[in-house]
Amino acid sequence: MHHNGAVSIQILAVDDDDAIRTSLRLALEEEGWSVLEADSGESALLMFGRSDPDVVLIDIGLPQMDGFALCRELRRSSDVPIVMVTARVETGDIVEGLEAGADDYLTKPFAPRELAARIRALLRRAQGPTASAGPMVVGDIEIVADEGVVRKGGEEVHLTRTEFKLLCEMAAHPGKVLSREQLLESVWGYDYFGDGRLVDVHIRRLRTKVESDSAQPQYVVTVRGMGYKLQI
Amino acid sequence: MSRPKRGLLSPLPLRARVILTFTLGTVLLAAFLVSTTYWLSRESMLRQRETASRTQFFANARQIQAQLRFPNPDFNLLLESLPSVSGSRSIVRTGSNRWYTNSLVPADLPPELVETVSGSPQAQSMRYQLLGKPHLALGIRLRPTEVSTVSDVAYFEVVPLAEIDDTLNSLGIILLVGAVVVVAIGAGIGISASGRFIQPLAEISSAATSIARGRFATRIARSEDPDLVGIVDSFIEMAQAMETRIARDARFASDVSHELRSPLMTLRASIDVMQSRRDELSERASAALELLSGEVDRFEHLVQDLLEISQSDAGAMESGPVNISELVARTVERLDRQPPVYVDEDLDNQLVIGDKRRLVQVIENLLTNATKYAGGAVAVRLQRDDNKVVIRVEDQGPGVAPSERELIFERFTRGAAARNRGSGDGAGLGLALVQEHVARHGGQVRVEARPDGERGAVFVVELPLAGQR
Repeated sequence: MHHNGAVSIQILAVDDDDAIRTSLRLALEEEGWSVLEADSGESALLMFGRSDPDVVLIDIGLPQMDGFALCRELRRSSDVPIVMVTARVETGDIVEGLEAGADDYLTKPFAPRELAARIRALLRRAQGPTASAGPMVVGDIEIVADEGVVRKGGEEVHLTRTEFKLLCEMAAHPGKVLSREQLLESVWGYDYFGDGRLVDVHIRRLRTKVESDSAQPQYVVTVRGMGYKLQI
Repeated sequence: MSRPKRGLLSPLPLRARVILTFTLGTVLLAAFLVSTTYWLSRESMLRQRETASRTQFFANARQIQAQLRFPNPDFNLLLESLPSVSGSRSIVRTGSNRWYTNSLVPADLPPELVETVSGSPQAQSMRYQLLGKPHLALGIRLRPTEVSTVSDVAYFEVVPLAEIDDTLNSLGIILLVGAVVVVAIGAGIGISASGRFIQPLAEISSAATSIARGRFATRIARSEDPDLVGIVDSFIEMAQAMETRIARDARFASDVSHELRSPLMTLRASIDVMQSRRDELSERASAALELLSGEVDRFEHLVQDLLEISQSDAGAMESGPVNISELVARTVERLDRQPPVYVDEDLDNQLVIGDKRRLVQVIENLLTNATKYAGGAVAVRLQRDDNKVVIRVEDQGPGVAPSERELIFERFTRGAAARNRGSGDGAGLGLALVQEHVARHGGQVRVEARPDGERGAVFVVELPLAGQR
């Protein structure tokens, strides 16, 4: 059951700290959203199966099943937008979280307004591309933006919404180099100061899905010092 | 403290001393060997030649002696029949001054020899110079016989030694060349041996430099050499101890700030909720909320900066190409009151390799510093200096006294300007972070007086450029 328009957006907040969870719920409810709370990865999985939330907010430092594991578990069956929350800003955690399948991340303490902005950007992405374009073929890849489908060699490739949006954004400017900042803005809704690693990790994940050899990409290529482009 | 005694060579670097010692040693050794060889060869050759000449001389003398059995010996004929070995020439004297010869003139003989031969029954010989060439002269007084009409017969021979001299010269040249080669080899061995000898020290020195620059994980390979094991091992131990300690300090700071982040998160979110419901609060409660909110902001910044500093100690830095003029312009754009940004034309699209977030923080902190203590930056200039970019953030505040110009970049220190302000709205970590971030990018930061002599300070950041996009 998906919600739209006036019907409340539902957010699953997973954090083992009661105070944080409660304060986040209060803050997100101010935005008019409803919030489900889970205090562990295991109960989050149960709740996710029952309620089908629109966005999942995961704290990395959970007991037992940690945030990375929960994220990977969710990604096995769902492309629900996931925001990772971490108190550890060391490079490793953020990149690992993104590689586990998170769409975006925030570091504690963040302003709830910032979280709300991230969630809105994710929900916009989840609604799919607004500009409808005809199917596009690059090599053995076929992108049907209207249907939200990507095929490689005739077989459907499963992309998360962020990966799909990233690919569409590059396909909209075939052969043109897009800087990290441009992609951060058009896909994630960040300004110049967004974290370029978001782009890098998502590009890496996209490559494992659409490239025959992700170590030697043919389509999604890096232009050193400038950004990325879709090679046509 | 007593300083170690300085040797003759001690002003020279160690390596030069080792090489020099080696070379000097080989020079002395080569000189000794060469001269000994030369003199021994020379003596032995001369002796051989002398012995051969003497044998021949006595044979010849015997023939002449045999002729004395006849009443009138024909010395000229006899002299011609004598074999000449290696250019020897002969002469016979009868009486006191009658000479028989075919090539030698009496004046060629050394007078001393002639004299000693006359006064002694023994054969005599001597080396001497004839026409600048070494010669051996031999002479003997022959025994008188009853039949002979001639009396007082003496026989002389002169043998040139010049060819021995030539041989000796060649030998000398060969030995000299050999000596030069040996010295060169000696110096070469000195260079290579001292290199090997110095190498562990050079390694230690470069590792120490690297550690001093903040790369605490730098290590050197263990040494097998018993003479070096001590110093190398204690160096490795020291580096390890230092790294462990620094890592522990950094982890502590990092753990503390992580622990602080969770309550801060709750505070921030709760204050946000209250702020969005401000209408429901009384005026007094609202004022109290503002205070609380402001302090939480400050606390948050402090924790952030502390964490940043601890990370700066611990390592881990993103690295990628950053368009530096774009970064500065974008950072300035975020200010409410934006100073003009002047960018040199040849800086367009120039890249710095580094961590975008940290570089933003450098510019941001300098701008914030100017806002807090100097009424805001009045200009930001980007200039190119060879392969560096020079970023200048200028203000018109009270300036920084020369005595404080280094101090303000240290952790938890604040300049006079900051101390004079009643409210402490900074922990004194902002400029320390600037300094550490810039250093980690291989750059430098300093503060200067304004060049035009006006009131104010200029914070100057220099970063190495990596080329053009």
